[in-house]
Amino acid sequence: MPTAKGDAASGSGRFAAWLRRRIGLILVFVALFLLWEYAVKIFGIKEYLLPPPTRIWTEFLKRWPTVMAGAWITGQEIVGGYLLAVVVSIPLALAVVRWRFVEESLYPVIVFLQIIPKIAIAPLFIIWFGFGFGPKLLIVFLLCFFPIVVSSVAGFKSLDPDVMDFARTTGAGGLRLFLKIRLPQALPGIFTGLKVGAALAATAAVVAEFVASDRGLGYLLQQYNGQLETPMVFATIVLLSIMGLVVYYAVEWLERLVIPWHVSQRPNDVTGI
Amino acid sequence: MSSFLSAQRRPEGAGPGTGPAGDAIAGVPVLFDGVGQTFRTGGRVTRALERVDLEVEAGEFVAILGPSGCGKSTLMKIAAGLIAPSEGQVSIGGTVVRGPWTKLGVVFQSPVLLDWRNVLDNVLVQLELRGIDPAAYRDRAHALLRSVGLEGFADRMPRELSGGMRQRTAIVRGLIHDPPLLMMDEPFGALDALTREQMRIDLEKLWLSRRQTTLFITHGISEAVALADRVVVMTPRPGRIDRIIPIDLPRPRNKAVISSARFTATCDEITELFMKNGVIQY
Repeated sequence: MPTAKGDAASGSGRFAAWLRRRIGLILVFVALFLLWEYAVKIFGIKEYLLPPPTRIWTEFLKRWPTVMAGAWITGQEIVGGYLLAVVVSIPLALAVVRWRFVEESLYPVIVFLQIIPKIAIAPLFIIWFGFGFGPKLLIVFLLCFFPIVVSSVAGFKSLDPDVMDFARTTGAGGLRLFLKIRLPQALPGIFTGLKVGAALAATAAVVAEFVASDRGLGYLLQQYNGQLETPMVFATIVLLSIMGLVVYYAVEWLERLVIPWHVSQRPNDVTGI
Repeated sequence: MSSFLSAQRRPEGAGPGTGPAGDAIAGVPVLFDGVGQTFRTGGRVTRALERVDLEVEAGEFVAILGPSGCGKSTLMKIAAGLIAPSEGQVSIGGTVVRGPWTKLGVVFQSPVLLDWRNVLDNVLVQLELRGIDPAAYRDRAHALLRSVGLEGFADRMPRELSGGMRQRTAIVRGLIHDPPLLMMDEPFGALDALTREQMRIDLEKLWLSRRQTTLFITHGISEAVALADRVVVMTPRPGRIDRIIPIDLPRPRNKAVISSARFTATCDEITELFMKNGVIQY
């Protein structure tokens, strides 16, 4: 029987390993940027069609206060709408699983409503709620809400029948069973929904701003586009992408923290006989 | 591997009200009274069990032996109150089972561990789910883990263990609360032959010290004969009791007993029963 414990990789060792694994990806990125930069220069492509990366960067440095102010607004919409979706969807998923009549009456309606293209409703929200922060928050909420509800319901329902049999022989019920068995078992499903929602949040905020807004990155994007300030269009897109990534990876980081047993389930982790 | 014996006392001692006394028979009688089971899935009707009558005495070790699909697992789930029988009833210690029976320890075919808990916490969840403070059972858990060769693995996660180690964790979880009734459904099925043999020896020692009533479901003829007071031989589906064979071999069933002519003869007798039923064909 093996008794030796595997040495936990040290922090710097882990970074070196990450670098080794990702070196190809990093090289591809560098190569793409170089290609972009020099292709634009060599072939004399007009700046309003495709500006070189260095031009985007210098333009951004000149005008970053405006862009960052927009990012602050859009960021609030993303985070606020997303958190609102999380706070509403998970309890709703619990209610669907807990009470049969909710599952049979309310849940089909929710699933049906999901089919409606949410973005198509955005103009309606402007009519109802005006131009302010509220309608943007609602659109982000609406887009994030469905995947979180659906995945959480699936998570709460994906009970291992054998585990439930074991739990029943202990006589555990109610809160104890929920906290010790059902909730941990549901967490992977819940996090799937949280990640899908996080990926949608930035898109939702920008679309909401496209429809009607006088601030935020979506608004700036339209302004820059209209004035053919293509370098700033690129800068804004890059910033939006970064914000989307940050939200997504924050959720993924939380997932690693909360359910490491699920995240690290890889076959090469197996030790023992 | 050392034996289970060192781990047999509850941590707070065996005073009155704290648990069964060490020398008394800890087990309860189990009575199967005309138990039958029919499953209906979709339009298909499957007869799983046919009128099982069996009286298991307090502290007896009964092996239920049969081919795959003969309904032995169903029989165990009925006894544990996890499935309601289509006909008949089971009573444990004179009480009819109507719903999950909790005064028992179960070990299933697969380990059924919780992925998010390490080995020790997977054992202690047995107590947590029962609303018992697990702190008082930590020493006993460590002792039991040591006795099944899992010393030093208490803080490992299930995914880090081999199948055999996971199953041994599950066995310790089934024993940690010192139940008067133990139900094991092919518990050694996933173990390698050597571990299997050691586990059999350890299980017998454990049972000899506590005498909890034990229902041991298996499809291994020699395993059943080596462990049990009586072997209940089941027919293929629908499972019915073919014959009950008392095993009056001396205990402990050490190497001399296992290699004796009587042991071999008993195994042969059961093999012939299975040949007659067409379970084994030459």
